[in-house]
Amino acid sequence: MADLAQVARALDEGDREKTVQLTEELLKAGTSPTEIIAKGLQAGMGAVGEKFSSGEYFLPDMLMAARAMKAALEVLKPALEKTGIPTIGKVVIGTVEGDMHDIGKNVVATFLSGNGFEVFDMGSNVSVQRFIGEVKAKQPDIVGMSALLTTTMPVMGKVIKALEENGLRAKVKVVVGGAPVTQDYANYIGADGYAHDGGRAVPVCRQLLGK
Amino acid sequence: MAMTQKQRILAAARGEKLDKLPFGARIDVWYNYHSAHGTLPDRYKGWSQVDILRDQGAGAQMRFFSLTREEYRDMEVVEKHDPPYITTEYRTPVGTVSKKEIFDTSEGPWIKYEMEKLFKGEQDYPVIKYIMEHTEPTDNFEAFNKLKDEVGGDGLVMTAPGGLWSPVQRVMREIIGYELFFYELADRPARVEELMEVMKELDRKKLKVAIGCDLEVFNICANWSDDIHTPVFRKYFTPWFREVVEFLHSHGRLAMAHTDGEMRRLNPLFAETGIDIAEAITPAPQTLVPMKEFREQMGDGVTLWGGIPSILLEPMYSDEDFDRFIINMFKEMAPGYRFIVGMGDNLPFDGDINRVGRVVELIEKYGRLPVQT
Repeated sequence: MADLAQVARALDEGDREKTVQLTEELLKAGTSPTEIIAKGLQAGMGAVGEKFSSGEYFLPDMLMAARAMKAALEVLKPALEKTGIPTIGKVVIGTVEGDMHDIGKNVVATFLSGNGFEVFDMGSNVSVQRFIGEVKAKQPDIVGMSALLTTTMPVMGKVIKALEENGLRAKVKVVVGGAPVTQDYANYIGADGYAHDGGRAVPVCRQLLGK
Repeated sequence: MAMTQKQRILAAARGEKLDKLPFGARIDVWYNYHSAHGTLPDRYKGWSQVDILRDQGAGAQMRFFSLTREEYRDMEVVEKHDPPYITTEYRTPVGTVSKKEIFDTSEGPWIKYEMEKLFKGEQDYPVIKYIMEHTEPTDNFEAFNKLKDEVGGDGLVMTAPGGLWSPVQRVMREIIGYELFFYELADRPARVEELMEVMKELDRKKLKVAIGCDLEVFNICANWSDDIHTPVFRKYFTPWFREVVEFLHSHGRLAMAHTDGEMRRLNPLFAETGIDIAEAITPAPQTLVPMKEFREQMGDGVTLWGGIPSILLEPMYSDEDFDRFIINMFKEMAPGYRFIVGMGDNLPFDGDINRVGRVVELIEKYGRLPVQT
């Protein structure tokens, strides 16, 4: 019979079909969906994230794992309709205005949702006003911003200022990332956290929420 | 007679010994932005990029897109312009595909970005294959020669046989898109590999046309980063690079790659490609890799061009921080041969243009070769 460790392993291997099959078997055998998520899928994603951060895995390994996770969550969706998927925090995320690049942001979004965060992905080229509107509407714990260009990097600082002006800054933690962004730059614009890559985004967000 | 900036850069690229570090600087992001917004410093209003770089005392590193143009036969190509968007539809006998791009240099960047890729799903493989098989490259030498004449001996025009990407990277980044490419490679490897082969054949044609110009250094791949995936790189990229490098060397030319990303895991593979120059080297703090590690990992046979991360040119770093970083970077590169000082990869729009001139001053003082530690 399938067990939770096998689910975690299949996900770690990026094997979508196997992850889905094992998830179905466990569900049929009476394992609760929340347990499958926590001890199977999230455990697998955690391992993938650690291997990425240590240099063992590459970005495509993370993408394959995330795809397997999404497929497994689809299997669990009907069973979770009443309780909803358990979350450890809400994140509003987007690539800032003027910047169309979204690979890094997508990976971070996928990894955060795979690790128990509820993610509202605003896409790329997100204006300051749209960030503010989404924060008001979704009331997230974290705002995540990405920029790939030195030209668009300063927009992250503008969003932080706008959060202050709208009385929202104290209610959210701000995490920034992207190729030209550094810890120094994050400090310079007053962000709360900096994530160099998708794998590191998860522990940074967990730490900021004390979870 | 004193060597020109161009001669100095080329000498370092060939591994010849110089008296001081050469410097080739890129400022097009800064220049495009301020030209479009009318905010160039008063002193430089109405100046060209090359003239600004001459004034600062640096060699010019001028980007030019491609030595060839693509012409299409036995298909209808319809372009719709709705600035800043361009939609292109390729109507072929085996089906139709389209892409949507955004092109606007006013914020700095100089290339198109595909908002909607040509490849949408499995049904598009035969259509894209048809397009590539019915594309003929023609030379774009007139525009290239114009820029080359403008630069003269004061720098180098950086360009490629057929655009930014190597063929596999073009499939990955431009045609299919990064995430979908890896899903397709996992699900339908034969179809993806077939597309790569068609793209390589087109690039072979482009190389044969491009070699007809007198460019000394050919850029054969851009925007390298660890996300290319080392096993994929070794299997699909390296053999192609070897083939191209052999071709270029047989014609007395050099090969260069624009390696401005997170490079720790690709650096050891660089020497396997045979490429002569790794350009736009972007060290810590913008990436994880210090300059010393770039040299150690790539070996002494590769010329490194870069070392100044864009972020260091931002106002958040003081002049003192900047000087300290540059002087230390020179020491890390000691003795300093096969090294061209440059940006990783550009002067940002809010960067200080006078820091370009400051690098020239620091080279005079601390960049004499061999560099003393």
